[in-house]
Parts: sequence; C-alpha cells; structure tokens
Amino acid sequence: MQHTEHGGAKGGGVSPKRDGPVRAGGRMQKSFKRSFDSLADIFAFTESFFEAESVGPAHRHDVNFAVEELFTNMVKYNSTGKSDIRLQIERVDGSLLISLVDSDAQPFDVTRSPPVDIHRPIEEREPGGLGLHLTKKVVDSIDYQHVDGCTTIKFSKNLR
Amino acid sequence: MFEIGIGDQGIVIIAGRLDAAQTEKAQAFLDSIEGLAVMDCGGLEYISSAGLGVLLRTQKRLMSGGGKLKLTNVNPHIHNIFRYSGFDHIFEVEVSTG
Repeated sequence: MQHTEHGGAKGGGVSPKRDGPVRAGGRMQKSFKRSFDSLADIFAFTESFFEAESVGPAHRHDVNFAVEELFTNMVKYNSTGKSDIRLQIERVDGSLLISLVDSDAQPFDVTRSPPVDIHRPIEEREPGGLGLHLTKKVVDSIDYQHVDGCTTIKFSKNLR
Repeated sequence: MFEIGIGDQGIVIIAGRLDAAQTEKAQAFLDSIEGLAVMDCGGLEYISSAGLGVLLRTQKRLMSGGGKLKLTNVNPHIHNIFRYSGFDHIFEVEVSTG
C-alpha cells in the first residue's frame, strides 16, 4: 500500500493524507510498493514536486534518473523485503535533497560500487552495471547508511 | 508512457520514457529489426540504465551480423547519459538541435 505524508518539520499544520502526494513547505514524502511497476507513480510524484518548485528540465532528468536507479537497485537486490520503500524530496535553499528508505534491507553500500571502464570496446561490454556509476555522475553528493536492517540513501542535486 | 514502432522510410520511432518497467516492450520490438537501422529519438524524454542495456544488447546483435543502430535527434540530457556511459563511442549519435 502506498501512502503520503507531508514534511512535518516544515509542514505548518497541514494534515497528513493517504490518497495522494501532499506538498508542504517544499517537502514531499510517499511510500511505494517494491516493484518496477511503481516507477510510473514515482515519476508522477517527482514531477508534481518539480512543477510546484519550478525545477528545470535538466535537473528533473537527473533527479528522476538517480531515483530510478536507486529504487530499482533496492527492488532487484532485496526482492524479498517486506516493507514499502519511502521516497522523500525537499528543496533546501538552492538544492534538492532526496532520500530513499528501505526499512527491510540487507546491507549494500551503493557508494562503493566498483568502477566502470566506459572505454572498453562493444565486444567487451555487457548490459548492466552502469546504474550506480551513472547515478554518481548526475548527483552532487550521495550518502549511504544501514542501521538495524534499515537502509537510507540520500543524495543532493544543486539547482545552479 | 512509452511507445516504439516503425515510422516513415523504415525508421524506428521511439517516444516517452524508457525506464526499467518498459525494457521488455522495447527489447521485444528491437529484437525484430535487422541490418542498418536508424532510430529517431526526438520523442524520447528519458532513458535509464535498464534502457541503455536494451540498446547495447540490440547493437551487439546487429553488429555481429554486419549491421548497426544509429540514433538521431537525441536530446541533450540523454546525450549526457550516453557520454557518461561511453555509449557515444558505441553508437553513431546525432544530437537534437531544437
């Protein structure tokens, strides 16, 4: 089941709702089912935030890209996890701050993915293995934490 | 929303968002093309690493038979993803000017 909550720290008295995204003080939060089929809903969620915050197309693209790569990584490598995956996005000064929380996860530090040699000829390349490499290219910072079975990945995108 | 099909003069037309939920549809279509193929990416808004995998798999298959896939009208955001992944050396890419 998906649900949406407003950002409490900046919410200013807006009541939580469970039937759709709620924006409060430049912060939105929603949980998504652990499935690739959630991607359409995830993009609808991020796009509604981008519209409200007048985020430009280049930044939208990069944030959507990183969100998809990190979300699908959580789905692929922890398919037996029971919890939904919570996505939060907020604007703080000149940056977007995004977090994904999987509260039923095995440790997997996405910041320590192996380097990718993008200069190999096509004969030596196989599909896969690019997602985290590309994510690190399009975000400005990325942080990983795993505590008591809960993985939290945070990244930022500067709106300069 | 994601669509892929054949347009005028046999050019492959791809449009919408090629994310991880759409790779099966994209791969099923691209498995049917042969030889020297051109794909008009003017309507392609977004591609993820899963979508890149579809393109790479297709290019490897076509090149093994002497063909290849050329990508035209690629938007600058997607072209950046191609550059970061080295796909600008694997595919002939024409970037959109609009």
